[in-house]
Amino acid sequence: MEVKVKNLTVKFDSRVILNNLNFVVQPGEIAAIIGPNGSGKTTLFRAILGLINYQGEININSRSVKDHLNQIGYVPQYFDFDRTIPITVKEFLNFFIRTKEEHKNLKNLFDNWGLTKFKNSLIGRLSGGQLQKVLIVSSLIKQPKLLLLDEAAAGIDIEASQDFYELIKKLNQQGVTVMMISHELNLVYRFADKIICLNRDLICLGTPKEVITDNTLRRLYGEEVGPRKHRHH
Amino acid sequence: MLAIFQFPFVQRALIAGMFLALLLAVLGVFVVLRRMSFLADGIAHASLAGVAFGLLVGIYPLAAALLVGVLFAVVIFILERKTSLSLDSIINLIFTTGLALGVVLLSFKSTYQPDLISFLFGNILAISADELKFMLVLGVGIGLFLILNYKSLVILVVNKEKAYLHGLRVNWLQLAFYVLTAVITILGIKILGVILVGALLVIPVSIAKLLARSFKGLVFISIIMSEIVFVLGISLSILLDLPTGAVIVLVGILVFILTAITSGQKQ
Repeated sequence: MEVKVKNLTVKFDSRVILNNLNFVVQPGEIAAIIGPNGSGKTTLFRAILGLINYQGEININSRSVKDHLNQIGYVPQYFDFDRTIPITVKEFLNFFIRTKEEHKNLKNLFDNWGLTKFKNSLIGRLSGGQLQKVLIVSSLIKQPKLLLLDEAAAGIDIEASQDFYELIKKLNQQGVTVMMISHELNLVYRFADKIICLNRDLICLGTPKEVITDNTLRRLYGEEVGPRKHRHH
Repeated sequence: MLAIFQFPFVQRALIAGMFLALLLAVLGVFVVLRRMSFLADGIAHASLAGVAFGLLVGIYPLAAALLVGVLFAVVIFILERKTSLSLDSIINLIFTTGLALGVVLLSFKSTYQPDLISFLFGNILAISADELKFMLVLGVGIGLFLILNYKSLVILVVNKEKAYLHGLRVNWLQLAFYVLTAVITILGIKILGVILVGALLVIPVSIAKLLARSFKGLVFISIIMSEIVFVLGISLSILLDLPTGAVIVLVGILVFILTAITSGQKQ
């Protein structure tokens, strides 16, 4: 699916969060959005999904996002829910099933994402990484054509995180367009086709080779970081 | 004791009560999980305006209360969307407006009003055959809505954004939920009265939450508890000649305390 963003500005009260962004994510691309904390990355996703008001135009395959909600998967950075609700992983995921095909798909997803042993666990009692996997699976049930991942691998251990990106790459090879927010510059460098650098304004746009340089990263983060020098904390 | 259940008015009370206990238990799951029990309480109190209006102009008070309750539910929904006020502030505004309006309207009628007493404290034993039919018809409609929208309501309860991204018409679903909560709360007034109706919406699911290990379990236990509390409460009230609504609530609270103690011991 093509995502076209034209003259996008988002303001909260008088504060400018995103300033006049213009870019296109082509069908079948993996586009990574990078930028420091508070640079407007999550706000960009929320605008694309129609969850907040904005000025400018956002089109998915030349139409409004509301026409494509059934083809878009979204994994948020924080999932706001009442952890005391007694609902099992299996129940939670089953609520998103609409067709027999989706039911079949869910069975495979349980295996692929290693959730089978947790299926009777309460979602409120899962660890951060396990909950993240449940959320990813919940957004994949409908076999989306566009996937928006907001630091979706956060909370997942490093090994599983590698598997996570491999699985995302596999989905992408099946034709799914992926937009992902990530701080993992090494992984972004390896997996993304396009990088969108954001710090309220669009700082840079291009392939990882073009964009992930000490110079641009210094402009973006204001310090010397890069794929070789990036450290996990 | 059993002989009393042969009287038609007791049978009607049992049918109406058990039916409403079922609906209140299921809807209560969604009301409690969305932390909206104050909505039910607010609408119940605000519907005094409807009862008073009904008494004043000679309309069946429960029907007038229903109309006013639905109207207030819609107003709450609109204010929540169009203003920056928090939901509890909006409910408080509606709650006090309805009560104040009710009190002013009632001041025009100075004679004793049995309908008003039953509105405040409930009087299920006085339920007529027509009222029972009225409740059953409305209740079946609500039941159908809950069955057809069960999955959507659960997703909405868990996370509103997830519901929107699932393609659900969140605003309509939310409005329907508010209106249904208003209707069922006001139907419940006939059993428990305005002061106690929120209790039957909240107590069964609160007991169920202590015991359930799945969502299906939560709904199932909530229904069972609601029925047990109602049947035990009405039986005790008849046996001891005590006010029905209040005894049902006290039985519910007792079951809740016992469940909390025993389930706490297990953990």
